[in-house]
This record gives sequence, C-alpha cells and structure tokens, in this order.
Amino acid sequence: MAFNYDQYLRVDKMPTLWCWGCGDGVILKSFIRAIDKLGINKDDMCLVSGIGCSGRFSSYVDMNTVHTTHGRTIAFATGIKLANPDKYVVCVAGDGDALAIGGNHTIHGCRRNIDITLILINNFIYGLTNSQTSPTTPRGFWTVSQKAGNIDPTFDGCKLAEAAGASFVARESVNAPKKLEKVIVEALKHKGFSFVEALSNCHINLGRKNKMQSAMANLDWIDSITVSKRKWDEMSELDKENHLPLGILKQDTEALEYCAMYDEVKKAQQGQRGVITQDDFEKKL
Amino acid sequence: MAVMAAPENTPVWVNTSRCKACDICVDACPAGVLSMQQEPTSTLGAMISVIEPDACIGCQECELSCPDFAIYVAERKEFKFAKLTDSSKERQEAIRNNGYRIPTDYKEAN
Repeated sequence: MAFNYDQYLRVDKMPTLWCWGCGDGVILKSFIRAIDKLGINKDDMCLVSGIGCSGRFSSYVDMNTVHTTHGRTIAFATGIKLANPDKYVVCVAGDGDALAIGGNHTIHGCRRNIDITLILINNFIYGLTNSQTSPTTPRGFWTVSQKAGNIDPTFDGCKLAEAAGASFVARESVNAPKKLEKVIVEALKHKGFSFVEALSNCHINLGRKNKMQSAMANLDWIDSITVSKRKWDEMSELDKENHLPLGILKQDTEALEYCAMYDEVKKAQQGQRGVITQDDFEKKL
Repeated sequence: MAVMAAPENTPVWVNTSRCKACDICVDACPAGVLSMQQEPTSTLGAMISVIEPDACIGCQECELSCPDFAIYVAERKEFKFAKLTDSSKERQEAIRNNGYRIPTDYKEAN
C-alpha cells in the first residue's frame, strides 16, 4: 500500500504544467495529505486560486474550485464562505498575487478574521512572467526589471498578517514537507483567518542568474535563510533580520470569527435579538 | 484514508509518464536507491530509474519531496526494508558526484 494522491487529483490534467522540480507540487502534495489526515470530504471544501503559477492549483485538485482574477482570491473566498459557513474555504495565492496586487484584500481578510485558510506560496520572484522583482525578492538579487541588482526592501508577509489581525500565522518551507503538512492541518482546524506562508523554490526564474540553477541549490539557499521559531527567538537582532522563523508564529483561539458574528447580525435583522452594541463585544456576543 | 495497491514485493516504484527528471528524489535518497538514466525522449534527456531496490530503507524522503506525484514508497508495515549500510552511503555519494547519473564504475561492477 502507498498513499493514493490520485483520489484528490484531476488525473487527466497530469503531468502538471509546472517546471521540473517546482515547489508548488510539494505544497500541493502536503495539502492533499493534510485534507486526507483530517478526513475532509472533497465536496465540503472549496479551493480558490488567483493568477500566477500558484493559480494552477485549482486546475489540479478534484474538488469545488474557483480560478479567479488576479489578486482577488480573498474577495471571492469571503463571499463563498459567508454563503456557506459550514464548508472549508482555502485560498492559494503567490507572493505577487497576495502581497502585491492583492495586498489590500489580504490585509482586510486578516482584519475581519474570517474563517479562510490562505496558503501563500512565496518563491521570492514573479515566476510566471519571467523573473521580475516581487515584494519578497531579497535585496541584491538579479531580476529582469532590476538587472543591476534589486534595491527594494523585502516584505515579510507573516508580520503583515500578524499586524493586520489574522488569528493563525505560520511559515514553513518545501524543504520539510511533513512539517508543512502539520501546519496546514492546524490551519484548517483553526477557526479564524489562517495565514500559511510556504517558502518555495523557483530555480528556473529566481535561480538562473542568481547562482541557483538547480532545484537542490535553491532549496539549500532557502534552508540557509530559514531557522525554526525556537532558535530564531534566541538569535541576536542582526541575525534575526537575516533569517526567517519557521513554524506556528501566532495562534489566537479567543479572537472573534467573522461568520459567527455575521450570524448574530442575521438574527438581529430577523428580530430574534437586539442590535449589536459595544457591550456585546466585551461579552463575546 | 486514500490508499493504492503496491506492486508485489516492491519497496519503491515510479510513474515515468509524470517524471520530469528534476533530480530532487535522487538527491533526497540517503541509500543510493535511485538514479537518473539517459532517455532521449524526455525533455531534460533523463528519466528516473530504481537501480538498487534492495537497499531502500523506507524513509519516504523521495516520495515526500517529489513535486510531480511520480514516485511511491510501500508502507513500513507491509514491506521489510533494509538497514542503511556504508556501501549504500558510498553509492549515494558516487551518484551525487556524478550529476545524479549512475557512475560508470558502478555499471561495470554489476
């Protein structure tokens, strides 16, 4: 016996359109094992993806899928979740999709703390359009749009999500698929906005001019810039700036979830309860 | 749980119609079980092959790190896997140093 991924895949679309060694496939595998571990029925889940290499996710998983416009994954997913509060809604977006063009939607999804799981695939570059600088490209890297070396400061998606109010924030890399699976399991179980940043490799477009032409070289580089949360806490301030912590960075089970609050609004509108006041929030509605 | 039947007495098997020859599984294997073989019809001119199935230790690293759903490892309770030996480690090192292809002296010895 072996694990059968094909049960969750649209097998007629295989092999995938991703480049050889692309980390997106490893993330897709971890995601499939996570939903299998939780025993979630395929019909109880909706996967929303945007534009980019990560947008191919919705083509390959055999469940309810929406392939939406660029950066609007959270906007679409919010509507789907409010209409079907008992179903799981998962967004998959790349670093350009969720942090650049769709940055605003990400912020407000986190602020509302609606029960959506966002898997942000961060490959540090705009891979689909051939290596332009993305918000997460490290300084000094060669890109097509900044051939003399990238001068833009690097953006930390997890810090953004934490500050914006997401109640679950985690980061993992494709170097450890088992850990990634565990984090996705926790994220799906969590009631509230779950932000999972999955660091991925793009040796084709990030690596080709940055001395990481093979997938292994790119994975080693990701390994060198990441460190577990426990070790990161003990690091000096200078080292903290140069490394990204891995693991669950924030988990707040007390925060009010948007769909539950929206239920109260429905009740108030139907006359089953009084209007919501500030005192109600102190009593957690 | 989603399970698939394993071929009889096989610790690790591959789906060559999905493999894109990215070398990740060969790099991940600690026991020198896998190697890339020349394959002119493949895009990158190589294809995965299981060269030493008896040395497989069942760690599933190759299956977990494969992005293309092309490699599978049997469950531990169903198949008795080998222990990691020094000769396995040496073979793995030789494969890695030879650009993930089978070393020429290994082919002659077998």
